[in-house]
Amino acid sequence: MPILIAGLLLYSKFKKVETYNVFVKGAKGSVNLVLDIFPYIVAIMVMVALMRASGITDFLIDILSPMFKFLGIPTEVSELVLLRPFTGSGSYAILKDIYTTYGVDTYVGRCASVIMGTSETLFYVATVYFSQTSVKKLSYAIPLALICNIFGTVTACLICKVL
Amino acid sequence: MIISIVLLIFENPSILVTEMTESAMNVISLCIELIAVYTIWLGILEIVDKTGLSEKLAKLLSPLIKFLFKTNDKEIIKMIAMNMSSNILGVGNAATPCGIKAMKLMDDKSGKATPSMIMLLIVNATSIQLLPTTTIGLRTAAGSVSPTDIMIPTFIATFLTACFGVGLTLIIQKLFNRRKKLYQIT
Repeated sequence: MPILIAGLLLYSKFKKVETYNVFVKGAKGSVNLVLDIFPYIVAIMVMVALMRASGITDFLIDILSPMFKFLGIPTEVSELVLLRPFTGSGSYAILKDIYTTYGVDTYVGRCASVIMGTSETLFYVATVYFSQTSVKKLSYAIPLALICNIFGTVTACLICKVL
Repeated sequence: MIISIVLLIFENPSILVTEMTESAMNVISLCIELIAVYTIWLGILEIVDKTGLSEKLAKLLSPLIKFLFKTNDKEIIKMIAMNMSSNILGVGNAATPCGIKAMKLMDDKSGKATPSMIMLLIVNATSIQLLPTTTIGLRTAAGSVSPTDIMIPTFIATFLTACFGVGLTLIIQKLFNRRKKLYQIT
């Protein structure tokens, strides 16, 4: 990444772009962008916090763990799989926990790392991406994306077993 | 959300309000971080745009994007191309502003998600990852013997997931189209 950025700056010098002015022009939009998406993030985060505090998350993990076992997902990572669609920072905290409890280079540790790649903070992304549009009805978008995430998780576990 | 509130009222009503405000407060600090991160990336993206690199990227990816999103709008193709490539390089923070812009451009003001908007969401949710930077960083911090060990499995798994996701979306959209046509006939 650092090399790419350095390369870009060199390239822009070569193309005679006024790097400084252009950077400032682009960067100006950030505050407004974040202000616009702020309420949406609050709504989704408050929901996650409430679900956690009320114990619904634990309840869901209990219900879903037999299904996870059936799909070949180790139970140790089920909390990660469940919370990953909602919160990015939260799932990285869980990932850290998994590393310290089960070890980084174990099957569980590697499996959790690959799952981080195949899954996405889906609800967060969906709220943020659609926040600037008129869209109120997502039709089949969320279930479809969730199915993809589950598929990704299962593949991740399988591949970690082989490689 | 309602279920959790009801449960909390029975179990521990005193923490309901604290929990809500606390998480909103966390969002404030998250947003301040996001402002910083987006300032940098939006600045860099503007440079990418001005150097004409984004057009080259768009040209490279446009056959794929035209096929998946059924659009000919240059601006949309450019934004999606940048969104996809930043996702692949593991710079999710650069991908988000592009994704938001692309969504805004594809919006048809009908209040319903169009097929191409859903496709963009799926492409983002299942993106191929070449460099899972954050995970590698965390693995290094946790004292892994070979933190980059997961790169190849991640690449294969994300690649399969992306194919699965895009394929499934295309199939579903075909089915929806057929149904619509049947409606129009009958």
